[in-house]
Amino acid sequence: MKKFLAGAAIALTASVFVLAGSPAEVGAKEFLVTGAKPDKLLVIDAKAREVVKTHTIPNAAPGLLTVTPSPDGKTAYAIVNGWESVSGIDLDSGKEVFRADFSKKGVRSKAMFGMDISPDGKELFVFLSPVKLGLGEYEVQDVHIAVYNTADGVGAQPVRTLPAPRRTALLLSSTDGTKLYAVSWDIVEMDPKTGKVTGTHKIRNWGRENYSEPDVLDVWPQFEQSGIFSTPYYAVRTDLSPDDPAAYKTGLVTLDLKTGAFEAEDFEDTSVVIFSSAINPVRRNEVYMVYTQLTKMDRDKHEVVKRIDLDHTYYCLNVSKDGSEIYLAGTMNDIAVYSTDSLERIGTIQVPGGADLALASIRVVDR
Amino acid sequence: MRSNWNRWFRARQQKVSADAAMVGSELMQKWLKTSSIATIAAVVACLAAGPKETAAQTLDGESIVNSACSSCHKRLPDGGVDRISAMRKTPEGWDMTLARMMIVHGAEFTPEERQAMVKYLADTQGLAPEESAPFRYILERRPNVIETIPDEDLGTMCARCHSYSRVALQRRPKAEWLKLVHFHLGQWPTIEYQALGRDRNWWEIASTKIPETLEKAFPLNTVAWNNWQKQEKKNLEGMWQVVGRRPGVGAFAGTLKVDSDGGDHYAAVYDLSFADGKTWSGRGKSIVYTGYEWRGSSQLADDAVNEVLVVSDDGNSMAGRWFLESADEVGGDFHAVRMEKGVSDIIAVEPSHLRAGTSAEISIHGVGLNGPVSLGDGVSVTKMISATPENIRLEVKAASDAADGLRDVQVGKTKGTGALAVYRKLDSVLVEPAYGIARVGGGFTPPVTAQFEAVGYLNGADGTAGTEDDVRVGVMPATWSVEDFNEVAADMKDVAFAGTMQQDGVFVPAMAGPNPQRKYSTNNAGDLKVVAKVADGDGQLEGSGRLIVTVQRWNDPPIR
Ligand code: HEC
Ligand code: HEC
Repeated sequence: MKKFLAGAAIALTASVFVLAGSPAEVGAKEFLVTGAKPDKLLVIDAKAREVVKTHTIPNAAPGLLTVTPSPDGKTAYAIVNGWESVSGIDLDSGKEVFRADFSKKGVRSKAMFGMDISPDGKELFVFLSPVKLGLGEYEVQDVHIAVYNTADGVGAQPVRTLPAPRRTALLLSSTDGTKLYAVSWDIVEMDPKTGKVTGTHKIRNWGRENYSEPDVLDVWPQFEQSGIFSTPYYAVRTDLSPDDPAAYKTGLVTLDLKTGAFEAEDFEDTSVVIFSSAINPVRRNEVYMVYTQLTKMDRDKHEVVKRIDLDHTYYCLNVSKDGSEIYLAGTMNDIAVYSTDSLERIGTIQVPGGADLALASIRVVDR
Repeated sequence: MRSNWNRWFRARQQKVSADAAMVGSELMQKWLKTSSIATIAAVVACLAAGPKETAAQTLDGESIVNSACSSCHKRLPDGGVDRISAMRKTPEGWDMTLARMMIVHGAEFTPEERQAMVKYLADTQGLAPEESAPFRYILERRPNVIETIPDEDLGTMCARCHSYSRVALQRRPKAEWLKLVHFHLGQWPTIEYQALGRDRNWWEIASTKIPETLEKAFPLNTVAWNNWQKQEKKNLEGMWQVVGRRPGVGAFAGTLKVDSDGGDHYAAVYDLSFADGKTWSGRGKSIVYTGYEWRGSSQLADDAVNEVLVVSDDGNSMAGRWFLESADEVGGDFHAVRMEKGVSDIIAVEPSHLRAGTSAEISIHGVGLNGPVSLGDGVSVTKMISATPENIRLEVKAASDAADGLRDVQVGKTKGTGALAVYRKLDSVLVEPAYGIARVGGGFTPPVTAQFEAVGYLNGADGTAGTEDDVRVGVMPATWSVEDFNEVAADMKDVAFAGTMQQDGVFVPAMAGPNPQRKYSTNNAGDLKVVAKVADGDGQLEGSGRLIVTVQRWNDPPIR
C-alpha cells in the first residue's frame, strides 16, 4: 500500500484520485476497466460514475481488444497494436509493467481475442494465429496458446505453447486454475500446464435431434463476477417450417468455472440479436444480455423476464458485485448503467475525449 | 407470423453485417490507411488509356516485371518468375495484384510502369474470350447483378466478401490456388470468425477441397487459351456504327472512328445522338488488352465515360458497357459494328415496340443496310423518311388485326431476329432490376443511385405471366414510387429516411452516418418496394421490385 500511494502521489498532478480507498475505508471498491481508441486504458469508479484514470498504452493503436485484469486487481493486460502485442498496465501508475510482442521476423502473429490469466496471477494465456511471411508468399501456421510468466515484465517471451483448436475466441481459466478452456466450435478443456485435452463440451457438435448446429460467436470475457461463463447461441429447428418463427431459437450456453457444470438451453424464439451476456453474482438465476436491446433472462425458467430497447448498440456488459447494476460498454463512447431490478437507466459515464470503446472488453476489478 | 420472421431475418442481417464490420474493421482500417483515396481512384482509372499512356507505351512491361518484382519473386530455371508466371488473369485482375504488391508489400513502380506491366501480363497471361465471357458483368461494373454460383460451398467459402467472378476470372494450378488461400487467411485472420466462416472448418476446407475444386474449374492450361494465343489479333482502325442505351433516357446511335495510336492503343472519335436528337459526341482513347479487351475513356458531351468492350473474334464488332467515370452505376449497353464492305447487320430497332392499330416513326440501326424493308406480318411501311447503310427511318403502321408478338425485321438479306414487338395491351409490367441496390453517400463517396425501368410484357402462348414464353415488349414510361418493403421497414420508417424516388426511375439515397432522428440512431439504410405504374390504353398496370439501400463501399476495387 505504501508503494502504491507513493506511486499515485507522483502521478497525481492531473487527477486526484487513488484507486483504493484509504486504509480507513473498509470494504473494497469496484472499478471498471475498459479501453478506448486508439490507446487509452480507462479506470472507472463504477458507483461514482467517474473515469478516475486514463492511461496511455505505448504503441497500442488502433485500439484495445481483450482486456484481462490480474486477480489482485492491480494490473490489466490488454491486446493492442493491431492485435500483435499484449501490454500489462499498472492501474495505479499507468506504467507498462508487462509487454509481449507476438510477431517475430518473418512471422506475423495476432491474438485472436482469447486471453486469460491463471488465478494466482502468475501466468497469462494468449491465443495466437500466426502466418509466415515468405519473400513472395504467405504460409498459414498452426494456431496455439502462448503462455507467459507475468513476472517476466516488458519483453516477455512465451514460456511454453499449447496446441488449441482453430477459431478459438475465448480462453477461460477454471476458478482453481487446474483447467483451461478454449471456446471454439466446442469448448475444449485442457491442462494449462501441458495442453493435454481433458474433455470437450460440445456446442457446434451437440448433435441435438431436430436442430441445426448452433452458431456462437462471443469475444467478450465477462464472467469474473459470477464465476460462470455464458454466451448466447442461435439454432434452427429443422423439424419446423422455415416460415415458422418458432423454428429459430436463441439459447444460452453456460459453463461454471468452479464446478465445470455445462448447459446449453433455448430460452426464446429468436427475436433480437444478442452479442454477449453476463450472470448476476448475487441473484444467480439472472442473466443479462446486450446488443441493441438489454435483456434480462431467468436461466432457471429459461425465459425472458424483461427486455428494453437501448439508445444504441453495445457489444458487452458486466455486473456489479452486489448484483445491483449493469454496465453496458463497447461500440460507442459511453458506458450506460442500468438497474438489474428494473432495467431502468440509472447512469451514464462518458468516455473522456469521446473516443469509441469499440471492441474492448469491460472488466470489473475489486480494490 | 411473417412479420416476425422478417424481423428475425432483418436482425440476422444486421448481425451479419455488424459483426462482419466488427471483425473486418481492423483490416479495413489498414487498407484505408495504406491506400489513400487517390491510390484507389488510380486503381480504377489506370486501365483506360490516360494522359500518361504514351509514356507507358514506350516501356517494356517484361523488363519492368523482371526488375521491379525480382527482389521478392525469383527467376525460375524454366525462364518464368516465381508465382507470377503461374497464373492468368484479366487486365483488372493483374492491376489489382500490382496494387497489392505496392500497397501491402511495398513494391515500387511508377504509374506508367504499372500500366506497361498490366499490358504485358494481360497479353501474355490473360484469359481467352470464352473464358471471360460468362463474367463480363463484373468487368463492365454492371450494378445489381445476382451471380449464379455452381457450387454452394464455393459461394459461401469464396464469394461472401467479393464476387464469385473475381475468383472465376483467374486460372491457376492447384498449388497456386492454395497459396492464394494462405494469403487470404494470413492477411485476414478474422475470416474464420466471421458469419459463414465460423460455422465450418474454414481453414480445413479452404486448404484442401477448394484448391482442388478451383483447379478443376479454372486450370492454368486450357485449349481455349492455347488457341487464342495462336490467333491473329485484329486491327480495329476504321469506321464503326454504334448503338447503345442510357437507361432512363433511351437509345443512342451514331458513328465511331478508330485511329491507331501505336500498337494496341487507339484514338476514338464518337459522333452519337439520342433518339430525341440531343448529341453525345466527343473523343476518347483506348487500349486493347489480350487482343480483345477494349478499355476506353472518353469525353462525350459533358460526360467522362469509360467503355469496357469485347472485340469479336473476326474483329468486326465490339460489345459491352459504357459507364460514367464518376458513377459507374450509370451506364448501359454499347454495341459497335464495323462499317466495311461485305459487313451487314441490324444492331437495333428503336423504338422496339408498336401498338396494333397505331402508326409510329421507327429507326433501324445497323451497317450495310441495303434493300427492301420488311417488318413482318401486319406491319407496313407507310413512308420512307431517310435511308443510309447505317440508319433507316420509317413511318410504319401496325394493322389493328396484327397479331401480338415479336417480328423479325429484314433489310435486303440482313435480318434482325425478333427485333420488333407488336402488342395491343400489355399483360404485365416488370420492374427491372427486380432487386436493386443503392448506397448512402457521404465523405469521399457520393451516393450510389439505382436506376429502375418498367418493362412491358405479353403473356405469350400459354396465357400466363412469368413463364418462359413471355414476350418482352420493351421499356415503358411509368410513374414511380416507393413503399416500405415490409412491416419491419414500416416500423423503421424506411421510406421517410432512405432517400428519394425520382420520376425518371432513379432512386437517390440519403446521406450516410448515424441518424439521430431514427430509431436506434441507425443510418439511412432501408428496405423498399419500388412501384412502377404504367398507363396502358384505358387501364393501368403495376409492377414492383425491391430496393435495398445500404451502406457505402469501403473500397471499390476494379473487380468487386
Ligand atoms: C517486397 C516484396 C514483393 C515485391 C517487390 C513484389 N511482390 Fe508479389 N508478392 C509478394 C508477397 C509477400 C506475395 C504473397 C502474398 C500476396 O499474395 O499478396 C506476393 C504474391 C504475388 C503474386 C501472387 C498473387 C496471388 O494472386 O496469389 C503475384 C502474381 C505477384 N506477387 C506479382 C508481383 C509482381 C508482378 C511484382 C512486380 C511488380 C511483385 N509481385 C513484386 C511480395 C512482393
Ligand atoms: C474475408 C473476405 C474474403 C473471403 C472469404 C475470400 N476473399 Fe478473396 N479477396 C478478399 C479481398 C479483400 C481481396 C483483395 C486483395 C487485394 O487487396 O488485392 C481478395 C482477393 C482475391 C483474389 C484476387 C487476388 C489477386 O491478387 O489476383 C482472388 C482470386 C480471390 N480473392 C479468391 C478467393 C477465393 C478462392 C476465396 C475462397 C477460398 C476467397 N477469395 C475468399 C477477401 C476475401
